[in-house]
Amino acid sequence: MFSSIKIAMIVIALATAGGGFLHYKTVKADLETAKANNLLLEASVEGQKAVIAQQENDFKSILAANATLQEQNKVLAAEFSALDDRFNKINAQGEVRDIGKLAVERSRSIERVINGATKKAMRCVEIAMGSPLTEKEENATKKSEINSECPSIANPNYVPY
Amino acid sequence: MFSTEVERAPLNLPNPETPKLEDLRWTIITSENAAEVFAKMQEQGKDPVLFGLSDDDYELLSKNFAQIRAYMIQQGLTLEQYRDYYEPKEETGKENAN
Repeated sequence: MFSSIKIAMIVIALATAGGGFLHYKTVKADLETAKANNLLLEASVEGQKAVIAQQENDFKSILAANATLQEQNKVLAAEFSALDDRFNKINAQGEVRDIGKLAVERSRSIERVINGATKKAMRCVEIAMGSPLTEKEENATKKSEINSECPSIANPNYVPY
Repeated sequence: MFSTEVERAPLNLPNPETPKLEDLRWTIITSENAAEVFAKMQEQGKDPVLFGLSDDDYELLSKNFAQIRAYMIQQGLTLEQYRDYYEPKEETGKENAN
């Protein structure tokens, strides 16, 4: 009877020890899996951070590109408005300039003026098409030196005064 | 099955060649100087004919021209911005270095 109890106790002890060992093995395997998962998560978080940083940079670039275009549009609108003003300038007597009347009165000088302006306008088109600026155009800073038809693209160093 | 994203090769199209525009000359003709202008043209061996615009139409032509020019500038700048965004110079440098 006593030996049966002893055997039973040994079996229980062995079973407990075996169970404990198995549990330990399972927990160890789970821990390894968790570690691996953690590494993957960390890598994924780093990847996401890089994606977010890239998106932020892209967004900044898009804003900058839009701002550049808007700025250029403003300058072009101002130049167009200046052309309109040249045709419809109001003189000291409050009269609107009439280029037709002026051409009748002073044909030669108006002819010279419009031919000069046309030459400048043609050069503006060449520049708009990608023609490189000449040294003279680059260095122009005075009103007398600039291409008055399109100073924003023809004379980068000219500051209107 | 794994797939690797392959970046598209940059398009890198060159800009078209810039043409040199021809000079043209306006002639102002009025009822008073018409005879003189035509006589001068004949002296220069030109056909005594002019393709005319009224002063208002000349003004409109100038404005149309300015609009076209502005549009070209905007197009050029837009293209430049696209290039800077999709084909930045630094990346091209890296590619060349590799």
